Amino acid sequence: MKYILPVVGTVAAVGLFAFSTANQAALAVEKPSYSDTFEQLDLFADVMARVRSDYVVEVEDGELIEDAINGMLQSLDPHSSYVNPNDFRRLQEQTSGRYVGVGMEVTQEDGYVKVVAPIDGSPAKEAGIKSGDYITEINGKTVLGLSLTEAVNTIRGEAGESVTLTIARIDEEPQDFTLVRREVDREVVTYEIKDGVPYIRISQFNEKASPGLTGAIDELNRQVDGKLPGVVLDLRTNPGGLLDQSIKISSVFLDGGEVVSTRGRDGANEQSYNAEPGQLLKGIPVVVLIDEASASASEIVAGAIQDRGRGVVMGMTSFGKGSVQSLIPLRGGRDGALRLTTQRYYTPSGRSIQGTGIDPDLFVSSYPDDGEDHTRMTEADLPNSIINEDASNEEATEEESQTIIDYPPEGFVVADDYQLQQAIALLKSGNYNQRLAELQN
Amino acid sequence: MSLGAGWAYAETAKKPDQPSYEKMQLLADILTIVENEYVEPVETHTLIEGALNGALAKLDPHSSYVPPTVFSEQRVAARREYGGLGIEVIMEDGYIKINYALEEGPAYAAGIRSGDFITAVEGETILGLELDEAVEGIRGLEGDPVTVTVLTPDQEPRDVTVVRAQVRGRAIRHRVEEGLGYVVIESFNNDKLTSDLERALELLQEELGGEIPGLIIDLRGNRGGLLTQSVSVSGLFLDGGEVLSVRGREDVDTERYHAESGELLPDMPIVVLVSPGSASAAEILAGSLQDRGRAIVIGRRTFGKGSVQSVIPLPGNKGALRMTTQRYYTPSGKSIQGRGIMPDLLVSALDDEGELRRRLREDSLPNALRNSDTSDYEEIYENVMFPPEEFPIDEDFQLHTAVEILESKRYQELLDAQSDLD
Repeated sequence: MKYILPVVGTVAAVGLFAFSTANQAALAVEKPSYSDTFEQLDLFADVMARVRSDYVVEVEDGELIEDAINGMLQSLDPHSSYVNPNDFRRLQEQTSGRYVGVGMEVTQEDGYVKVVAPIDGSPAKEAGIKSGDYITEINGKTVLGLSLTEAVNTIRGEAGESVTLTIARIDEEPQDFTLVRREVDREVVTYEIKDGVPYIRISQFNEKASPGLTGAIDELNRQVDGKLPGVVLDLRTNPGGLLDQSIKISSVFLDGGEVVSTRGRDGANEQSYNAEPGQLLKGIPVVVLIDEASASASEIVAGAIQDRGRGVVMGMTSFGKGSVQSLIPLRGGRDGALRLTTQRYYTPSGRSIQGTGIDPDLFVSSYPDDGEDHTRMTEADLPNSIINEDASNEEATEEESQTIIDYPPEGFVVADDYQLQQAIALLKSGNYNQRLAELQN
Repeated sequence: MSLGAGWAYAETAKKPDQPSYEKMQLLADILTIVENEYVEPVETHTLIEGALNGALAKLDPHSSYVPPTVFSEQRVAARREYGGLGIEVIMEDGYIKINYALEEGPAYAAGIRSGDFITAVEGETILGLELDEAVEGIRGLEGDPVTVTVLTPDQEPRDVTVVRAQVRGRAIRHRVEEGLGYVVIESFNNDKLTSDLERALELLQEELGGEIPGLIIDLRGNRGGLLTQSVSVSGLFLDGGEVLSVRGREDVDTERYHAESGELLPDMPIVVLVSPGSASAAEILAGSLQDRGRAIVIGRRTFGKGSVQSVIPLPGNKGALRMTTQRYYTPSGKSIQGRGIMPDLLVSALDDEGELRRRLREDSLPNALRNSDTSDYEEIYENVMFPPEEFPIDEDFQLHTAVEILESKRYQELLDAQSDLD
């Protein structure tokens, strides 16, 4: 399992949320619907009291009630949950993309912590920690027996404090590195020129996504002397993130107009989110790559570009998470927060992708057609997921069996990324405009 | 319980501890936000049900909240009553044969007895019908009469009119097997189980000409039921002494259950058949007879549910709380929690596959209560008896082995080996 620092405990990877205002939560608490709620809470308190007095072993009732809160929220849908104060702090760090630490991506191997990569400009990078290094001890204590989360929690701490890591490298004596923790920015946008075509990958929609994208475009523009031939935007395995980031990212490609609309209970409180006018990439061909793990905010961007005819969406049908969660702080965050599904969202053409996902304009598989099932888990497979109210969407999925999927030729190495190669090929072929026009009809 | 509104009012009879009060307030806050803000309308009781299940499922696999509708259904099921005549039947020579007539049933009251045949229903012969079809004609609405033609061997057929009534089903089946008594106890969830078993033993004695040379009690797949029934059934075969003890959170809460003095059939050898599906009350019976040296247990290691649940009805027709309140211990003081009863002889019903497949038992359930005894308890493949290759696939190898044991000196050998261990 690969974790990215900062580790976010039990917080689910798939998310799309808007930070709720504190007012909203306060307002909600002030107007309870007394009678039934009161009676049901009585029942709950009664059961808890009996458990406390009569259960076969003594139980800590704080934990018991937290389990109850989780049980209550899990009965709603897979994306609603209680975020305890620790996880809430980490979640805030994750969404800001900024945290206090030493700045490295780590994973676990053979019980040791292995460095995937140090982050540019971080204490770890400056000290000379390299990809592939093994961390065997933290402050002189072995990491063996620690879970990755526990190890990461030990490495992290207050800004200005130091931590000593014992690093083992193959064919070298273990060496101690003492690093001073400070604020580190974790970039979620990477880019490069691939076979002459600018390629941009967004791994997550945190607050760094939009500035990261504009920065990447500036740099790519500089590298090709302001003559961008087209862009591949890779949203594969991107689990989503912040709603407002998906609007900002879409604004790079769209000149005003709707990106997405959200609706609350019974379709009420419809809210439309528009792209900012003055698109950055005017007239430049775009191929968006998606796969089964592209979820929520990724699906908003892909859906807007597809519905507005702004680019070609390529890859495989996306995850299908068409709901928005509000992160509602409880008592100002002291009690953690409530992550609650409060809205559904709709693409500019008015469709909900809940449970169905975005079908790409061109189906391209990264795996050869070997008869094996390479499909991953999607929203519709999750227990208790909310259903799409629009039944016609389900029929559309049925028809999917008739779609033609472009498989890599026999002998193609999966690691060579067939989907990306096909995206680059389309942009270089000179047929892009023709294909886009065809897809509009 | 006076604690009802404890979350909201500081002044209650039994004031909750501070941390739990805060957590209760948190739960109440979240509940209100969900009611107001969730993307779909939600019922408060659904949310509280989810909360109760979330909390109770974390305790152990047997604690749960029972919603009102399910609770009332369960109470009916525990009584196992259904409309009919109160007879257990089999098909023989094209007719319905009465295997057993329940003494409080309407058929028994109308003079129908075990061994009688039914040849026609409402004047129509049942020759040529399948058992299901024949029984269909007998069943009907409570209070409606049905006329059946009854043939008692060596007598003239006669028409008998029986008024259908709510009848309780037996939780046991009995028959003569190779000259031995064979009793299947399907469930302990029947408060007449002990008297049904006593009656079945009497019938077996009659059928076997006065004495039962050996008894096989089949508890395979029996998931348990009422604790009191397991104690009284054990008591039939034991002359006083402890059957089990039950302990709550504090050791001082120990309750001991004893058999009544005077056992029913003291000289009759007993073999108990068990399987990984034998749980709870079934394990109490097998464990007490094994511990007290009263029976040989054969089959596979049992489920290992060593805890007792109390079903606590919640006031105001709010369903019930099913909660683990005690653990129980066999007469030798062992807890079977997570470990089960190890048979004296391991006998497999299934063919030898070169290994023992893992079966679903208590110790594979998430959040199962632990046993402080962590010594080895797994079955060892090499010790298991498998059906020989030539053994017919449609026959019961475990039952076959039980018969062999009772008919040979193997029974005494196994009994001696049992006491060597003590």
